[in-house]
Amino acid sequence: MLANANRLTPYLFLAPAVAVMAVALLYPIGYMIWASFLDWNPSQRIGEADFVGLRNYVDLLGDAAFRESFWVTIRFAAIVVAFEMVLGVGLALLLDRELRGMTLLRTVFILPMMIAPIVVGLVWRYMYHPTVGTFNRVLDDLGLPSAPWLSDGDWAFASVVIADVWQWTPFIFILSLAALQSLPRSAIEAARIDGATGWQMIRHIKIPLMMPVLIVTALLRMIDAFKVLEVILVLTNGGPGLSTEILALRISRTASEFRELGYAAAMSNLLLILLLVLTLAMFGYTRLTEARTARLARAREIEVG
Amino acid sequence: MRHWKLTGAAIAVAIAGAAGADPYEEYAGTTLVVNFPAHPHYDAAIRVLDQFTEETGIEVEVDQLQYLKMRERQTLELTKDEGDYDLIAFVVFSKADYVYADQLENLARYFMNPRLADPGYDQADLIPGYVENIGVAGGAKGYLPGQLGSAYGVPFGAETSILAYRTDIFERHGLTPPDTYEELLDLACRIPELEPGVGGMASRAASGHQASHAFLLHLAPLGGKVFDDAWEPVINDEAGVAAANALKTIVDCGPEGGTTFGPAEAAAAFKQGQAAMFLDSIAFAAGFEDPSESTVAGKVGYVMHPMGERRASQTGGFGLAIPKNAPNKEAAFLLLQWLTSKEGDFAVAMEGGNPSRFSTYADPELNAKYPYSETFGEALKFADPDWRPIIPVWGSINADIGTTMSQVLTEGLDPQEALDGVAERTRDTMEEAGYYTWSPAE
Repeated sequence: MLANANRLTPYLFLAPAVAVMAVALLYPIGYMIWASFLDWNPSQRIGEADFVGLRNYVDLLGDAAFRESFWVTIRFAAIVVAFEMVLGVGLALLLDRELRGMTLLRTVFILPMMIAPIVVGLVWRYMYHPTVGTFNRVLDDLGLPSAPWLSDGDWAFASVVIADVWQWTPFIFILSLAALQSLPRSAIEAARIDGATGWQMIRHIKIPLMMPVLIVTALLRMIDAFKVLEVILVLTNGGPGLSTEILALRISRTASEFRELGYAAAMSNLLLILLLVLTLAMFGYTRLTEARTARLARAREIEVG
Repeated sequence: MRHWKLTGAAIAVAIAGAAGADPYEEYAGTTLVVNFPAHPHYDAAIRVLDQFTEETGIEVEVDQLQYLKMRERQTLELTKDEGDYDLIAFVVFSKADYVYADQLENLARYFMNPRLADPGYDQADLIPGYVENIGVAGGAKGYLPGQLGSAYGVPFGAETSILAYRTDIFERHGLTPPDTYEELLDLACRIPELEPGVGGMASRAASGHQASHAFLLHLAPLGGKVFDDAWEPVINDEAGVAAANALKTIVDCGPEGGTTFGPAEAAAAFKQGQAAMFLDSIAFAAGFEDPSESTVAGKVGYVMHPMGERRASQTGGFGLAIPKNAPNKEAAFLLLQWLTSKEGDFAVAMEGGNPSRFSTYADPELNAKYPYSETFGEALKFADPDWRPIIPVWGSINADIGTTMSQVLTEGLDPQEALDGVAERTRDTMEEAGYYTWSPAE
């Protein structure tokens, strides 16, 4: 009897925290899932909305604008994360040394990510301005024709990618730098003694050792890139046409402009599922990599033994 | 006998007192909470609110928000059992949502109340196009006046379209301001040849609402409309294609980067001398004449929105309404009535607001301060309350028109093909919303 009570005690202590977490975390998600089964406009209370079952999800399958937004989002997230990873990790490898003024340089590099996205959007919009913007002025000074930064679909897509890469490369940089600085010095010293070149050290020692951190970093950035809204809202508002209308913007417009909260909730849920699958895939890959590394280490120990 | 004389005198005094009673007395000391947009007209209105408090003893607290944020806030506020706002300004396309959801007071019961309604209010002086567009619902097509329609709001901060042009450029080249669409389109592309570096006309054209607005601005005068009387989309008829081509011509011959312009950017291009014409809301005129922000101040002339098949300028902007869940409805009506009365309308106009009354536009004092006022008053006689539909599903149709027009402007999509697509998708939206429930079976 007493033993049973002792077993239950930890659960009793945990219960309040679990209850609070469940309400705070799961209730909004449950609310959103429920809303996606409703034909709900903001002038109604949720209880007054009609239940439509899976109709919102079925409608999404035939919604050409949603499909377009979906592909714009995938393309945007894949491109910005690839660029940011290469630039961020590259910068970290470059600045991972103790030189005079390096602290200041590192601080300067992370400034863009500290600026509010709305402000970033406004600043870049001004720089992309067709007549008074910085870029076209420079092109003009060089005797080159001005570029349609935001007024042509392909250029506008490239322009929002550039702004995002500018703002979020520092995020990759700072995490990569932290990962680099926490690498075991013994492995690096051993490689150096064995005569490894700088590039060989990066390729065979530093990057493989950093990989778990890099995967999590890329994952976090990918999740964020799928939800980016403010910068694109200010820069292009999704245009020209639908060329930069990412899913978050489509969801926001569906809820506030088209006043279809149920339909917007269904879109959000699909985005959530997509991100969940992506997260699980990334974690699965990390586990596989770790297991393979552990197997190799064991094999080496046996060889040495 | 003496007793009866005294009593009679007392009754006479009481009656006389009642006859001359202050209609605001009962509400003095009340504090009204109003929700206004961040907009030049409402900035002007806020400047005269002290005068209202002084005259009535009613205090006013203003919650001023960017207009889309204001709409979001109202959407939440109006669904509550007891709201926080006594009086709201609403953007015209909210009329459909709020009236359909039964969230606004029908103003008839206030105008019928002799204790509240000012006999000198003069409803006939209000600009009909504005009242029909913003204030009335329940008649023709549901969102227009008709025999069974009723007023849910009063225009306040309403706008129409007008053509502003650079008098110096027109004089230099012996040009006449355009009166027809043919002349407008000809000048839009001729001016850049005559004045290198200056676009013909600055227009909003950014993807979404802005491109849709710009297209519809030309659709009505060119004889088109979005729906026929049976709600069938006719946006892809000859007039629709002509309107899309007109917009493309204007943008192609306009200032650089025009496809990204919202109204503010288009107005800025005109103010900075990058365009010779500007066809949009009258609300921008005050900015054109302000030398601190405009390089063309004093060099701008105004004429009516050019005519195509017919003369039809836009109607839009804001109105005032009392939410059903307002805590102080009668005092709120007194403020609504005061602000939109002849005196209120004039006071706000003198502070830089947009009048909603013909008498204000004709006022010599206002014309001395803003010389373009009389032209605006003349143009308002042709304000079209039905230049775009005000229906609950308009948001998604509007966005579709806007993104499709943006593709016409930037990706070279054929206007006919583009509008055929819009018409097909619009029909699906209308069908789903139940607009063909009463159509005869095919």
